[in-house]
Amino acid sequence: MRDYDAIVIGGGHAGIEASLALSREGFETLLITQSLDAIGRMSCNPSIGGLAKGNLVREIDALGGEMGHLIDKTMIQMRILNRRRGPAVQAPRAQADKFSYSRLAKETLEKEHHLHLFMDTVVDFIVSGNVIAGVITERGWQISAKTVVLTTGTFMDGKIFIGEYDAPCGRLGESAAIGLGDSLRRLGFHTGRMKTGTPSRVRFSSLDLDEMEVQNGDDVMEAFSFDTDHIDRPSLPCYITYTNDETHRIIRENIHRSPLYGGKIIGKGPRYCPSIEDKVVRFPDRERHQIFVEPEGVGTEEMYLNGLSSSLPEEVQHRFIHSIPGLRHAEIMRPAYAVEYDYLDPMDLYPSLESKILPGLFVAGQTNGTSGYEEAAAQGLIAGMNAAQLLKGEKPVILSRTEAYIGVLIDDLVTKGTKEPYRMFTSRAEYRLSLRHDNADQRLTAIGYNAGLAPKDKMDRLSLKTESIRNVKEILHDSRMNGRNCYDLVRMPETDIHALDIEALASFPYSVLSEAELDIKYEGYLQRQEKEAEKAKRMENMEIPSDFDYDSVDGISSESREKLKTVRPLSIGQASRISGVRVTDIAVLSVAVRSRKRG
Amino acid sequence: MPCYTTGEPIYALATPFSPSAIAVIRASGDNVLSMIAPYFTGKIASYPSSHAIHGFIHDGNGRNIDEVMLIKYEKGHGYTSEEAFEIMSHGSLPVIRAIENLLESIGIRRAERGEFTYRAFMHGRMDLTEAEAVEEIVRSKSERAGSEALSRLTGSIKREADDIKDRILNILASLEVQLDYGEDEIPEDWEFPYDEVDSIISRLEAIISTYSASRLYSEGAKVVIAGRTNAGKSSLYNALLKENRAIVSSEEGTTRDYIEADASILGIPVRLFDTAGLRETDGLIEKEGIRRTEELIKDADLVVYVIDPSSDDVPPADESILTVYSKRDIKLKDGSTSFSSMTGEGLDEVINKMAERLMEGRVVSSSVPSIDSERQRDNLSAVLSALRDAEASASSGYDIIALYLQSALESLGELTGMVTGEDVLERLFSSFCLGK
Repeated sequence: MRDYDAIVIGGGHAGIEASLALSREGFETLLITQSLDAIGRMSCNPSIGGLAKGNLVREIDALGGEMGHLIDKTMIQMRILNRRRGPAVQAPRAQADKFSYSRLAKETLEKEHHLHLFMDTVVDFIVSGNVIAGVITERGWQISAKTVVLTTGTFMDGKIFIGEYDAPCGRLGESAAIGLGDSLRRLGFHTGRMKTGTPSRVRFSSLDLDEMEVQNGDDVMEAFSFDTDHIDRPSLPCYITYTNDETHRIIRENIHRSPLYGGKIIGKGPRYCPSIEDKVVRFPDRERHQIFVEPEGVGTEEMYLNGLSSSLPEEVQHRFIHSIPGLRHAEIMRPAYAVEYDYLDPMDLYPSLESKILPGLFVAGQTNGTSGYEEAAAQGLIAGMNAAQLLKGEKPVILSRTEAYIGVLIDDLVTKGTKEPYRMFTSRAEYRLSLRHDNADQRLTAIGYNAGLAPKDKMDRLSLKTESIRNVKEILHDSRMNGRNCYDLVRMPETDIHALDIEALASFPYSVLSEAELDIKYEGYLQRQEKEAEKAKRMENMEIPSDFDYDSVDGISSESREKLKTVRPLSIGQASRISGVRVTDIAVLSVAVRSRKRG
Repeated sequence: MPCYTTGEPIYALATPFSPSAIAVIRASGDNVLSMIAPYFTGKIASYPSSHAIHGFIHDGNGRNIDEVMLIKYEKGHGYTSEEAFEIMSHGSLPVIRAIENLLESIGIRRAERGEFTYRAFMHGRMDLTEAEAVEEIVRSKSERAGSEALSRLTGSIKREADDIKDRILNILASLEVQLDYGEDEIPEDWEFPYDEVDSIISRLEAIISTYSASRLYSEGAKVVIAGRTNAGKSSLYNALLKENRAIVSSEEGTTRDYIEADASILGIPVRLFDTAGLRETDGLIEKEGIRRTEELIKDADLVVYVIDPSSDDVPPADESILTVYSKRDIKLKDGSTSFSSMTGEGLDEVINKMAERLMEGRVVSSSVPSIDSERQRDNLSAVLSALRDAEASASSGYDIIALYLQSALESLGELTGMVTGEDVLERLFSSFCLGK
C-alpha cells in the first residue's frame, strides 16, 4: 500500500508549482520541506520577472501555475522592461514584498485539501525493482509514493562561504541537506558542484537617500497573471548608486581573501551574474559599477544591494560598502555570501523531467543546474504536471522550442546540459518573436487545460480575448483614415494603435489593442518564423523509441553515437540539437529509425 | 541549420554539369508546381500527372530562359513521392545556371547529396534492402563531408570568413545585450553600426566577385563578335576557332543569325558567338538576326567589335567593348589592335587582349581570397542580403534587426561552422560587464 500518490521534496519555487499541479489534479501529495517557515522564500533578489524570465512567469500562469498569482498580490513595484527596444522582447518585472510572497505561498499550499505538508529532511530513496517507491527521512520516516519530485535548490550538500568562513548551509542560517547527494550518487546519478552568491542587506534608515538616484516603477502596474484584471498595490522606489575607485581598490587589495580566488570554491558560478570582485578583476577599465538598492518588502527595513554580491570577508564587505555614496553610513544587517551546492546533470533526464536512471523520479529547479525563481518554477510546474500524467498513465506534456520559453529551457537542459547555473535569455530562443509575454495564454492555456490543470474559466477568458483581438482586426480592416486602410496604417512602425481615433475600438481593453497591434506589425516576420518553426516541428514529430539501439546503426560516427547514447533523444529534432552530432549522422539516424519501425 | 527534411522545396541537376544536348533539373517538395507555374508558359494545371508539357521557362520579366519540356508529378507519383517536376532544357551551361538561379530565387533550394533518395525512402518508396543502399549513400556523403569540410575552407578564405563571422557576432552581441538586459542595466542606446556593416558588405562583395573569375575557368565565358556587316567578324571567328565553321563570304549579310562554338582563349574556355552584322536593313530575316545579336551582347562577358579599317566605322563609345581592326594586310591602323585573316598577323595580340579583358575586374586581388564553389557563393550571397536587410530595417525594433543578423550568421555558419546561441552569450559576457 502506498502512503501518497506523490511526494515533492522541497518547498521552494519549483516545489510549490509541482505540489500544486499534482494536488490540483486530485492526487494525494505530500510536500516535505526542511522548514515550513521557508516556503517560497526568495533567497536572493526580491524581484520576479525580467527579460525572458517575465515570459516564463506568464507561461507558468497560462498553463495553470501559481507564480503569476503570487507576485500579482505581493508586488511593490512594477515595470515593463525594454519598451523602446522592440515589442517582441519586452517583459514585465516586479519588485516583491518577499515576506508577503512567502506567506501567501504557504497559505496557498495549505488551501489545497489533497496537499499535505510535512517538515523533515529526505536523506534517501526507497527503490523497488529499479523504480522509485518512496523516501526515507532524517528522523527515520519511510514514506511510500508512486512518484517523487525532487526540488532541493541549493540545499543538497550546500556550503556557504564568507571570506575565510564556511558552513554547511543552503542559505545563511539554514542547514544544508546532507546525505541525499551521496544516496543519489550511489544510485548512479551524475552530480556536480555549482556556485552562486547573494549580496548584503542594509538598513533603510541608515541610507543617505539624497546621494542616490531614485528609480520608480511604471505608473500602471500590469499583471503577470492572465486572471488578474487590476492591481492595486503600493509602489516603492528603488535607488541607484555607483562604486568608485576607492571601492575597487579595497576589493583588489583583498582579492586573495576571496574563497573564489583562493581556490576554496570549485563550483562554477554564473557569468551573467558575477560577484563584484569578478567585475573588478575582469573589467579593470570600468570606472564604476551600477548598484541598485531595492526594498525587500513593506514591513521591513532590509534593502537588497543588487550588483554587490560577494564572498569577501565581512570586514572587507563593510569597508567597500561604506566607500559607496548613499551607503557610507549603511548598517549592514546580513552579509553577502557565496553558496556552493550539488546539482544533478540534467542530461540524465527526459524532456518530461523524469529521470532516465530512476523511473518515477522527477527532478526540477536549481537541482538541475539552473538559477532563478522563474526557471525553477517553470520546471517545477512541468515536473508536477508530468508526475500527474504518469499517475494517470498518459503521455507527458512536452513543450517545444517553437511554443514556449519553457520548451527552450527544458530542451536546452536535457539535450545540452549546462556548465554554469542556467539562466533564461531571450537570445536562447530561436522563435522569440512569437514567444511574447502577452500571448502566452494563446500559446499554452489549451495545453494546460487539456492536461487537466488549467481550470475552465481560464479557457473562457482566453476565448473572450481571442475573440476581441479578432474583432479589433476586423474593425481595422473595415476602417479608413486619411484615405488609408487602418489595418495597413497599424502596420507602419510609427503608428500607435492607442492613438487612433476609431470609435469602435474605444471599448476594447488596452492589452487587447496592444496585442492586436503587435500581431499586425509583426505579421511578415512571424510568417517567416512560422515557416522555420514548421520545419522544426516536422523533425520534432519524428519520434525515436526510448530503447532505440544506436549500436545497430552502422553509418553513424562513433563520436555522435556516444552522444546519442548519453542523451537518448526522443525525437530526430532533439537529436539534431545535441552539440557535435553531424547533420549527416542525423540523416542516417532518421533513415534507420524509419526502417526499424517498418521492419 | 542545414538538415535533411521532407517537404521543403529542393532541386538538383540530374545530369552532369557540362555542356551537352539535354540537361535535366528536378525539383521536389510542397507546392513546387505552383511555385514554378508563373515562370513557365505551359499550362501545368491543365495536364494530368506524369505528363511532359512543352513551353518556355522565363524569368518573370518577359525574358525567356529556354524552351523546355516540363514533366509534372503530383503528390504520390514521382521518385520522391512528393509533389515534383523535372525540367528538360538545352544542355548549355548558361541555361542550366539561369534555371538554377530562377529556382533559388523562388524559394527552391539546392538539395544536399542524397536528399532525393532520402526523401524517396522516407515516403515509403523503397523497401528495406533499398534503404540500406540509402544509408550507404548518405554515409558516403558524411565521409566526404568530413574531407570536404577540411578542403572547403582553408587558408586565407577560412581566415576571412572567420573574421567576418567575428565581426557580425560582435554586432549581434552588442545588440543582444540590449534584448537580454533591461534599459536600467544597459542604459546606452544601441546605434546601427553603418560603417562596420558597410565595410563587411563591401568585403563580401569583393569575395563574391572572385567567384566569377574562377567561374571563367570552370564554365567558360560568353564572347560575342559584333560589328558591321562585312567587317570581318566571321574571319576572326574562324581564325579563333582555327576551323572553317562559318561561311566566309564577301557578300553582306551572310551570317544572318548567329553561330556559336567552344574555343579556348589562353586557357580560358569560351563560348564564341559570331553574329549578324549590325546594319540598317529592310530584310525581315536580318532584322530578327540583329535583334538576337543585341540580346546576345547584353549577356556577353566580352564583346569584340570588328571594324574594317577602310570603312568609316568608328569604335563604340562603350569602353568595355574591345575594338579590333581587320584586314591588317590591306590597311594597318596605327596604335590599334588589328589582325589579318589572310596572313594571321596580329592574331596573337587580339587573343592576348581578349584574355586580358576577360580577366579584367575579375582578377583575384591579392587582398581578397577567392572562392571557387557555387555553394560558397550562395552562402556568402545569403549573408550579404541578410546584412542589407538588417541595414534596411535599421529603424525597426532591435528584435527585427537581430533576426537578420542571426540569419547572416546562420548562412555564414555553413562555411565556418554554426554559431550557436551559446556563442552569442559567450561573446556578450566577455565583452560587457553585466549582472546586477
